[in-house]
Amino acid sequence: MTELPENNRAGKEAPSSAPDPFDLSNLRLSQSYTETAGVKKLLTTVPVRKPNPQDWVRVHPDPLMRENFPLIELKDEREEYVVAGTLVSELVGEFVSKTLYTTVNRQGVVSLWPVRLPDPDGREMEWHRSAREAAETAMTGWVRCKANRSLGAYEIFQANSCIAEPVWPELDFQQIIRIAFRDRLITSLDHPVIKRLRGLA
Amino acid sequence: MSALPASFREIVVIDFEFEVGHGERPVPICLVAKELCSGRTYRVFQSEFGAGPPYATGPDVLFVAYYASAELGCYKVLGWPTPERILDLFTEFRNLTNGLPPPAGASLLGALTYFGIDGIGANEKKEMQTALGKGTWAGVYTPEEILDYCESDVLALERLLSVMLPNIDLPRALLRGRYMGATAAIEHAGVPVDTDTLDLLRDKWVSIQDQLIAGIDSQYHVYEGRTFKQERFAKFLETHDIPWPRLESGALDLGDDTFRQMAKARPQNSALRELRSALSELRLNDLAVGSDGRNRTILSAFRSRSGRNQPSNTKFIFGPSVWLRGLIKPPPGYAVAYIDWSQQEFGIAGALSGDSKMMDAYSSGDPYLTFAKQAQAVPADATKKSHPNERELFKQCVLATQYGMQAESLAARIGQPPIVARDLLRMHRETYRTFWAWSDAALDHAMLHGSLHTVFGWRVHVGEMSNPRSLRNFPMQANGAEMLRVACCLGIERGVEICAPVHDAVLICAPVERLDADIETMRAAMAEASRIVLGGFELGSDVSITRWPDRYADARGAVMWARVMGLIGNE
Repeated sequence: MTELPENNRAGKEAPSSAPDPFDLSNLRLSQSYTETAGVKKLLTTVPVRKPNPQDWVRVHPDPLMRENFPLIELKDEREEYVVAGTLVSELVGEFVSKTLYTTVNRQGVVSLWPVRLPDPDGREMEWHRSAREAAETAMTGWVRCKANRSLGAYEIFQANSCIAEPVWPELDFQQIIRIAFRDRLITSLDHPVIKRLRGLA
Repeated sequence: MSALPASFREIVVIDFEFEVGHGERPVPICLVAKELCSGRTYRVFQSEFGAGPPYATGPDVLFVAYYASAELGCYKVLGWPTPERILDLFTEFRNLTNGLPPPAGASLLGALTYFGIDGIGANEKKEMQTALGKGTWAGVYTPEEILDYCESDVLALERLLSVMLPNIDLPRALLRGRYMGATAAIEHAGVPVDTDTLDLLRDKWVSIQDQLIAGIDSQYHVYEGRTFKQERFAKFLETHDIPWPRLESGALDLGDDTFRQMAKARPQNSALRELRSALSELRLNDLAVGSDGRNRTILSAFRSRSGRNQPSNTKFIFGPSVWLRGLIKPPPGYAVAYIDWSQQEFGIAGALSGDSKMMDAYSSGDPYLTFAKQAQAVPADATKKSHPNERELFKQCVLATQYGMQAESLAARIGQPPIVARDLLRMHRETYRTFWAWSDAALDHAMLHGSLHTVFGWRVHVGEMSNPRSLRNFPMQANGAEMLRVACCLGIERGVEICAPVHDAVLICAPVERLDADIETMRAAMAEASRIVLGGFELGSDVSITRWPDRYADARGAVMWARVMGLIGNE
């Protein structure tokens, strides 16, 4: 703003030290609340589950954001436990190997999607193959998958419209795994899950 | 006083006593001013007023008052030039306490009480103040008594300045003071009104109410006599398949805000809203119109939380009854122009948050349709004509986010299931992520630091009853208010006659031969104000012109106006 009222235009200049309400460029305060609020959303809960049938999801396309793990699933509780590498040989038959995909839904909820790997002999059920196909498809577009018992596989639905790209957490896969399994890591044979499986608890 | 700003040659604390009739300009009775550097006091009674103030003027003189537009209104009447550096302790007291209502209000006495300063004989003052305001002081109080009274306020103001000054952000306080100067000019001008029609209306208003109800209610059938019947209204909504917001109790929400919102969504309900508003709130004798045919009332600058003006709804022509604005009529040879910023809140939200998609949508000229395109809900070549329904949905979604509306309310407004409203709101969040991150951060900032502020330091403090939605909306509303204030300052200082500021608009009046030039000046001022507030981003404006002998018309009140005029025989 450069124009001044009539009585100021008459040649009288404000002293350099006097505040000037006409010099608005020097008065403007920042509105950058994103920088000044100093608030960061923490990721403290990461569910391990397959997407529900209504959820549209994306899978992180980076290979570093997925990994295979030996998991024990408690069916009744719908809980997945990770078996430590040192116990794998002692728990053969108790765990199954699954790929954990980093996933996000339209509401921005980050989760790990467990998909069973083929058996060592290469056999794979249609349920697991179709789930893996859905996860692979979700790396490039929004996907919804729904179990079809008659079909014996998941039906995969892909969104036709170009929905906005997901926002991924800033954490790496290791950190996500730590959050997801912080209370569900089996590191000894005394673990309550193992005791239950062996009828000791 | 030890901490006076050294950059001023003189600091003058002043107070006027004046009479003011309903809708009239003030009539100054006396002035007392104290120059704080020298300690000199000036006492001037009515007949002694000169061509200018008795103290120094200029950019190195600080003018200090409490609610300065009142004193500056007296300046206007006396033909004195507006001071260049105005410090208004009222605006600064409001800024200090905004959001945390002070225990004794925001009057001078309230501010003195807040700081524990003796208010000196408040009751005695009140009696004299009333007599002065009404012009009944002559023969009751002597000039000396009135000057003494006036001087006591000046001395109180001096003490108030002393305690407030250390916490005043002076450069920005002076900007607020500058606006009080513009406010005085706006109040001085007033809004031109068709007084003949107003007199007719006042004369016949009571007698036409039954006919008015009969005429308008014939579309709705919700009145029984002069009583609005809720069950009939419920039936009307059901018959016409209109979803309507409800209160927690389950009863229909019949608040005027709801009626206004719903009338916006369904213009066919406007007449009913206008009728209800007119019957319940309209007090035509309160409409403040002076002997010069101008509607004039105190604008109450900085009274609202956002810093916007808050003039009396019943005294101000731009109160809630929009049909009454048909009374606005330029005098012969003149025209009025209503100039408003296009989608101001949307533009402010985009620019201040730095959301480039939102700014692109604003700059497209049709933010609602562009939003739909950005959300991939319509093809890239969609137009207002090819996709009117989609555009309307996305428009309602944008407006809903500005009001902080949730899915249920939006669903009621658009007449769609909640899932449609939820999807729309989700698309807004997904499309304008930068804006939402900024909005979340603004709320976090408020809760963490206890306040939010505008680009020029108007602050809202977070109190116990602070509403998160209102805090989120504060940057848009309060920076919109800053923008209007800057535009008014620029317009007034460049010679435009601004009759009224109205939320995101101004009404100006000009002789027809100067109209185009004044409109250009005002629009340029509004564009400049937007660039100043928004860090370079410019908002556009729209103009609606009314030339004598036409009258101003607001489409929302057209049915009601025509009906009323028909009934009073003034078609």
